[in-house]
Amino acid sequence: MSHAIDIDLHREGPGGLETEEMTLNMGPQHPSTHGVLRFVVKADGEVMRRAIPDIGYLHRSIEKIAEKVGYHGFMPYTDRVDYVSAMQCNQGWAMACEKLAGIEVPRRGEYCRVIASEFGRIASHLISVGATGMDMGAITPFTHAIREREYINDILEELCGARLTFNYMRIGGCAWDLPPGFAKRAIAYLDRFEPLIDEYDELISFNKIYVERLANVAPITPERAISWNLVGPNLRGSGVRYDVRRDVPYSAYPEFEFDVPVGTGERGTLGDCYDRYMVRMREIRQSCRILRQALEGIPAGPVVAKVPRTFKPAPGAVHVRVEASRGDMGWFAVSDGTAFPVRVHIRTGSYAAMAAIEELSKGLMIADLVAVIASLDIVAPEVDR
Amino acid sequence: MGYFENIRESVRTIFEGMAITASHMVRKPYTVQYPDRIDVRVQDTLPFRYRGLLDVDLEICTGCLACERACPIDCIVIDAEKDKETREMVLKRFDIDLAKCMFCGLCSEPCPTGSIHHTPEFEGADYSLESMIRRFVKAPVVAYKPSKGPETNPEIAPILKRGLRYLDEFASPGGAS
Amino acid sequence: MQQLADRLIDTGFLQGLPRGLGYVIVVALFAFLMLNFIMLVAGVTSWLERRVWARIQSRIGPNRVGPQGSIQWLADGIKNIMKEDIVPSAADAPLFRFAPYLAMMGFFGAFAVVPFGDGLIVADINIGVLYVSAVTALVVVGILMAGWSSNNKWALLGGIRSAAQIISYEIPAALAVLTVVLFTGTLSMQGIIRAQGWAPWNWFLFHNPFTFVAFFLFFVSALAEGNRTPFDLPEAESELVAGAFTEYSGLRSLLFFLVEWGNLYLIGAICTTLFLGGWQVPAFTDSGLVLGLAQVLTFFLKAYFLVFVAMWVRGTLPRVRVDQLMTLCWKYLVPIAFVNMILAAFFAAILPNGSIFVKAGMCVFGLGLAVHFFQRVLFHLRRAKPELHLSPIV
Repeated sequence: MSHAIDIDLHREGPGGLETEEMTLNMGPQHPSTHGVLRFVVKADGEVMRRAIPDIGYLHRSIEKIAEKVGYHGFMPYTDRVDYVSAMQCNQGWAMACEKLAGIEVPRRGEYCRVIASEFGRIASHLISVGATGMDMGAITPFTHAIREREYINDILEELCGARLTFNYMRIGGCAWDLPPGFAKRAIAYLDRFEPLIDEYDELISFNKIYVERLANVAPITPERAISWNLVGPNLRGSGVRYDVRRDVPYSAYPEFEFDVPVGTGERGTLGDCYDRYMVRMREIRQSCRILRQALEGIPAGPVVAKVPRTFKPAPGAVHVRVEASRGDMGWFAVSDGTAFPVRVHIRTGSYAAMAAIEELSKGLMIADLVAVIASLDIVAPEVDR
Repeated sequence: MGYFENIRESVRTIFEGMAITASHMVRKPYTVQYPDRIDVRVQDTLPFRYRGLLDVDLEICTGCLACERACPIDCIVIDAEKDKETREMVLKRFDIDLAKCMFCGLCSEPCPTGSIHHTPEFEGADYSLESMIRRFVKAPVVAYKPSKGPETNPEIAPILKRGLRYLDEFASPGGAS
Repeated sequence: MQQLADRLIDTGFLQGLPRGLGYVIVVALFAFLMLNFIMLVAGVTSWLERRVWARIQSRIGPNRVGPQGSIQWLADGIKNIMKEDIVPSAADAPLFRFAPYLAMMGFFGAFAVVPFGDGLIVADINIGVLYVSAVTALVVVGILMAGWSSNNKWALLGGIRSAAQIISYEIPAALAVLTVVLFTGTLSMQGIIRAQGWAPWNWFLFHNPFTFVAFFLFFVSALAEGNRTPFDLPEAESELVAGAFTEYSGLRSLLFFLVEWGNLYLIGAICTTLFLGGWQVPAFTDSGLVLGLAQVLTFFLKAYFLVFVAMWVRGTLPRVRVDQLMTLCWKYLVPIAFVNMILAAFFAAILPNGSIFVKAGMCVFGLGLAVHFFQRVLFHLRRAKPELHLSPIV
């Protein structure tokens, strides 16, 4: 592990005073809600020179476990890859297996998947914006966001029986069909939820102090965002209109009408923390739009295709992309014809974002580091898997 | 933004924010004061599909070992062997280690009768790791043999009905909705 | 209070004692009473703060320990006292141990001039407000000492941020106070209250537009001095676990937190004295005792309303970053405070006794603001269509 921690001792400061760089440790246990992350911060007083991320505290060998449990058994483990938005991870693995074996998912199954994924996206973005608010010091938006997420958890509990690790999708479709009355309840929830987003916006998004904390902090130009492999709202916040649901369409998304919000530098520079935050707020509204279309237009039919109990796909390698809440999640699976995959690799958006932090943190203040981590929406389970 | 716009914007947004939080102060709180200050048991409000602690209805277990094979975390251990004289499956051991179980539901899906199923119970905390291993077989029992027509045994029929109802919740290929 | 001491020594139950000893005993007694009162108020404030936050956040606060959770603070206090007293091995032990007491001294000393009623004040010195400003500066020394002696870089950062913040915000606070003093001619606390009346239009808040602005300036600066959100960067939870107080546990950390909550009450008390008419009540009865009680109650309620507003603000606003904090103080608050004071000086020169028209105009303006506020609250309630629950104690 070679973190080149070069301490700049006895640097000549302004006025001829000798100054020394401080090395601080923003340790794995930290009262910030992003999980176990560690940063070694080299700071000159309040201003940082570098913030070196240290990862691996939440590594659970999920990719290796896939080689032991087989294709069907890996589905609950995919929930834990990003437990904040577990539905999309389920979908990614299911799509990878279906592509390996050439299985087609029935249309109703695709609609159920979209409904579940979009609810998961709203839930994940709620946590993200809430945690950003809390890191900035505003404690109430977080609790309001969690309150709304609890309602979504109730809806998804009705759908699949669990509130966090859903294990809803199977290879070939979904495990459970929509229960009776689900569409009515979900639409009633959406009717209740959309005015509350406006209220949330007015409480925090347009608050002058909040804007001042986030605007002009760590702007990422579109070229840098692409070269650093950022995806999802991080990329769209810099103005690059790339969304896997639109550009590499999968599942039932081509049938829905929705916008892809991008950052425009409305309150500061293009691609700053505020842009990324606003992209997430707008994506919540777009998800509500997709949900309404899906719930009203869902076709009849089966939700799952026939898949053998021992799943032995043809040998080959496949890579699929899913638009998870944190961006373009890549699922790579290699099969050799047996019931166990040879290799599974998950490419997550937070991993690249962690690497970007070291570059971004030069010249920022320590208080801004928290803003940057929050706005890049880094969750530790995704980084370490 | 100019100097005075900054001041005006600050005052306006802070005023607005304070109004929103003041409006929250008169709303009903969202808290459910579990476990003592609620009207009904939380377990009774949970949906039928809820994946709580596992339970096995040994009366309808056929000893097919499908759940043991499906479990991705190896928390189910079953000892079942075919008795040579009577040609029946005898279940000697059916242990589920709830400390390992990740409540994924993959075991209850392939069960032919719905014998292993999730219950709405979620309060399983205890002081010892030993109590997490649920041993469902007290003495060796004969496994259930599903009858050709509807089940006639009055003791087993309701259990089977519930088990099949649990299985009906799962989607099946080719099933219309 | 000296008359009370003299009376007690001459005719009361301290007869026969030498005068000096008698004074010392009386002062010690009052200090003890005041300390108990402040600690009680600080404790209850901590419970009330959690309830207020909880209602803002759509949840119920602590409501199990005692009726509606009202002795939660006592339980927390006892828990803190029973904790292990940890002094980090590399810390500067004497300074580490002394810092909380220094902060406590700075905060508690200010209560010697807080008026509870007409004549109910420990020492009505003629430089009352200036004394308060001076004594509360000891809190800075305490916090800085705590941050430095902890031998913890995060604590040091927190301590330095806090020191910079408090001494910067002394200036707009002092200027706002000066704006009021221009109209009273005296710095004494009782004198300032006596210059106001019991009715809202006789308060300094509505006396003229400049004192109105001075109220907000003072309130914001006082929040900054008390390390409250939106200026609580020294104890920012997401960055520095507890800022300057990270290494403290048990009774010492309890003292720091009591200083913070008690400071809220001090802010409320000073604001009430300067702007909200203090303990003034209309003379509705002849009985001195009942009038005295009414005065104490009025003062307490007014001060506590401002404490409630401070809690409410904490639940609403995010934190301001350090450089933005300094910008706010030096580029916005200080120039505004200066201009305000100069214009107020002109006003005082032109209309030395105030003007009923200006007062009435300001009252109407204040009323208009309150009405607009309620309109916005109703708008949000109507839009969200929630279930209402008007009881403050759920």
